[in-house]
Amino acid sequence: MTIRVLLVDDETSFVETLGKRLTIRNLDVVTAGSADEAFDVLAREAVDVVLLDVKMPGTDGLTAIKTIKRRHPLVEVILLSGHANLEASVGGMALGAFDYLLKPVRLEELVYKIEDAYQRKSIQEGKIRNLREVGISDPDGPKS
Amino acid sequence: MRFVGHIGALIRRLTGHHEPDIPPEEAERLTSLFTERYHSFRTLLAANGRALENMAQMEQAYGGIQPYGMDFVVSNATAVVVRVFRMIRHLDALAPGAYSELFARFDAIRSGLEAVIDPPRNPSEGPLVLSLSSIRRGDSDVVGSKMANLGEIAGALDLQVPAGFVITAAAYNRLLDHNELRPEIHRLIVSTEIQRPDSLFALSSRLQQLIASATVPPDVEEAVRSALAELASRVGGTAGFAVRSSAFGEDTAETSFAGLYESELNVHPDNVLETYLEIAASKYTPQAMVYRYQRGLRSEDTEMAVGCMAMIPAVAGGVAYTSDPQDADDRRIHVSAAVGLPKTVVDGRFETDLFVVDRQRLDIVQRQVVPKTFAFDLRPGEGIARRKLSPEIATRAALTDEQAVTIAEVALRLEAHFGHSQDVEWALTGGGELVILQARPMHHAASSPTRPSIAGEPLVTGGVCVSPGVAGGPVRWVRSDREALMMPDGAVLVVEHPDPRWAALLDRAAAVVSEHGGIAGHLATVAREFGVPALFGAGSLEALQRGAQVTVDADGLAVHPGRHSDAESGHERRSLMDGSPIQTILGDALSHISPLNLTDPESSDFHPSKVRSLHDITRFCHEKAVTEMFSFGTKNSFPRYAAKQLHHNVPMQWWMLDLDDGFTEEITGKYVKLDQVSCQPMRALWDGMVAIPWDGPPAMSGSGFASVLFEATRNPALSTPFKKPYAQRNYFMVSANFMNLQSRFGFHFSTVETLASQRDDENYLIFSLKGGAADEERRAGRARLIADLLEIHGFHLKVIEDTVTARIWAMPQEEILSRLKIVGYLLMHTRQLDMVMGDPASVTRYRAKLEGDISSILAAENPQ
Repeated sequence: MTIRVLLVDDETSFVETLGKRLTIRNLDVVTAGSADEAFDVLAREAVDVVLLDVKMPGTDGLTAIKTIKRRHPLVEVILLSGHANLEASVGGMALGAFDYLLKPVRLEELVYKIEDAYQRKSIQEGKIRNLREVGISDPDGPKS
Repeated sequence: MRFVGHIGALIRRLTGHHEPDIPPEEAERLTSLFTERYHSFRTLLAANGRALENMAQMEQAYGGIQPYGMDFVVSNATAVVVRVFRMIRHLDALAPGAYSELFARFDAIRSGLEAVIDPPRNPSEGPLVLSLSSIRRGDSDVVGSKMANLGEIAGALDLQVPAGFVITAAAYNRLLDHNELRPEIHRLIVSTEIQRPDSLFALSSRLQQLIASATVPPDVEEAVRSALAELASRVGGTAGFAVRSSAFGEDTAETSFAGLYESELNVHPDNVLETYLEIAASKYTPQAMVYRYQRGLRSEDTEMAVGCMAMIPAVAGGVAYTSDPQDADDRRIHVSAAVGLPKTVVDGRFETDLFVVDRQRLDIVQRQVVPKTFAFDLRPGEGIARRKLSPEIATRAALTDEQAVTIAEVALRLEAHFGHSQDVEWALTGGGELVILQARPMHHAASSPTRPSIAGEPLVTGGVCVSPGVAGGPVRWVRSDREALMMPDGAVLVVEHPDPRWAALLDRAAAVVSEHGGIAGHLATVAREFGVPALFGAGSLEALQRGAQVTVDADGLAVHPGRHSDAESGHERRSLMDGSPIQTILGDALSHISPLNLTDPESSDFHPSKVRSLHDITRFCHEKAVTEMFSFGTKNSFPRYAAKQLHHNVPMQWWMLDLDDGFTEEITGKYVKLDQVSCQPMRALWDGMVAIPWDGPPAMSGSGFASVLFEATRNPALSTPFKKPYAQRNYFMVSANFMNLQSRFGFHFSTVETLASQRDDENYLIFSLKGGAADEERRAGRARLIADLLEIHGFHLKVIEDTVTARIWAMPQEEILSRLKIVGYLLMHTRQLDMVMGDPASVTRYRAKLEGDISSILAAENPQ
């Protein structure tokens, strides 16, 4: 099973380079240049993990994560930030981010994080499946 | 260790029961739940390991001599905060709502930390321009120390200084805000490895370009233009201006920044604004950035005010020191002088005249007049011109004795006023007026102890010792920025002229040798501050061949072939971070991060309300997460996730809980065999435990035994075990790559936790051991002995009283497994060693045995 990752960053060159490097590591990468573009992608196709830049023109990462988690509670979001900021880091985590990483992040570490986030998503999905099977309605699951 | 007892009780209860009949759906549900909990547990442990790494790095930096910048402090602090938050969240997933108080405690600690590391606010309110005549010493936080000192000299001492004004720090902040430069500057700095010379130079050039090409805000431009017009009307229409940096922190008793920022001389009034931008941009010269980094100064604290002063057409100029820069005890005034502008002296490029004046008698005690080649004068229109001196002027002293004494007298007045030895830049006009251009506290070289002399014929002799010491390395000539980039660490930097821009190399150079120059140059000042041995004005250095190993004896005015490490003084290099602003910030940040107050899980203080640092939170979360994992099988009466007893040939009881894939097969009974355990770390630890048979308790001396008896009567914690002295309760939690062991051997409590997977980055091993039956001193002795043994194998150690904690991290799996064998061995073989710690002879004997055994275990692992 290939993990599908959505990369969201307004820095095109960063998105391109990182996208290529993650593809080489057998991840299925889609990209978006803004939060709004990312919402469109998420509405259209299934994504496992979103890598979201904290600071973007227009809708910033922290606002975007709220929308993503509301519309797609099972999608895991990893925040990436150009510079360390205590408030944004904890704020993002409190909004449901899987983790908050500082750029430049080592590719190895990022891939592990993506795998861990994916594992978490799978566990949550398994849990929901289970609850359905034993006939318990899922209070937190998607309302579709 | 009530925790261990608690778990033991749970396990006894559990294993005493028969496996209940669980319906398959329920088993499925519990398995899924357990998987989820295990994921949270693993994430919590990984976050714990990483948070402890960040803490260790911060503590190491704080106590070490390597420099670090604010980005190091902020990114590590942020990483700790994020990881601790993850721990709390995952503990909450393991035990929903049970420890919710932690969130509030975390928020309180985090805001304390935030207050410490948040960048300062750089005010852009206040006057944009101030006349020099209105400035006093106390205005340094508006105009920088250099201009504040100059204002003070004119106002309080009635000495002559050039007419001028200062473009304030508020104007600089307006400039950055107006052009929205701050975020971009910050982004560029934090994404660059300043230690790498090529990145440093590239960063410097980007940043300087950003500022130099910025737009001066209209209100700043208006203020500068009207101040210029007012100044021009006072000093005569066509005069040029000196535009000088006056940054915060420059020219102070702590930091000189000598020559690291730009100054432009004789600037045409039309070009002052453009020059202002260039000087403001020079905040980011490579040498200034390296200097701030080495001295632990925050970039945000270094605001750039810029002075603009009427040029003084000097016939002679130079620098006066009110004591010998190389010897603070030599209180004679040293006046260096050149013909024309003082630039000749402060650049340090050429040899200059020196007058040494006695401070009591005020007479000349030494006079060195050197043949001079050039002088710098004002070029008509703009700029500086180099003039070749006629033979008559070239051989004449630049000053009369009377003039030298007058300068010395004025320098002494400045010293008396400012209360510190002074470094004074002066100019003498054609009309005989003395004008003070700058005065700043002096920086003396550290005193130089006597060292063994170096025998043999030197390659170079002569010159001036501008910064004492002896150091060696390969010769590296540097004549250009390109060559500067290529200079290897630890080289002996060899230059023709001591250009201040080479200050960017001082953190990497073992020593500096220059063909020209003397003690008064900027590079000399910075070399003294950094404690880098430097020999200037040594004449032709052709004998120094690139790459050849040499030893520079700055005190002995010689460069010797080869290395003479017995004479080298490298270890005396100063720790420039001590007491620096960034070190202070790191110390304050650590006070919210690293103190560990929650040490004893059985104490009533082991409670969320007692948490005072981030370290406390990690400790608490870790402890509770382990308990939560253990109790799962019991709470749910589900034997698959309950502990099994290990069948083995070691005479102790071991219980094992499989977290995921720690067993080769599913085990529903009460026992597990060693070959059913697929946990690699556990197997490695076990190998170490059984590698060498234990000889049994060491033979105790009479006093050792008395110590145990005495301790048992006064230490209530020991009373129960003492009745049953070798009580053993040992609990493993395992998966294929993870192991957590809580164990008790007699009076000794230990924890081993490790992750040894294919992800090198995430691997770690923590081993902690405390307790013992002997008195405190002996127990502490054993802790130190174990620390010594582990340190050899790359562990980071912490010993507090009788507790030793050893950690390694980010290593390949096989290296972690190999160290687990050492830990396993020590677990078995240091039992009761505390009892013999009172006797030095047996300590030596046991140490030798332990070292020998460890070597043989490792050798058996890698047979040659």
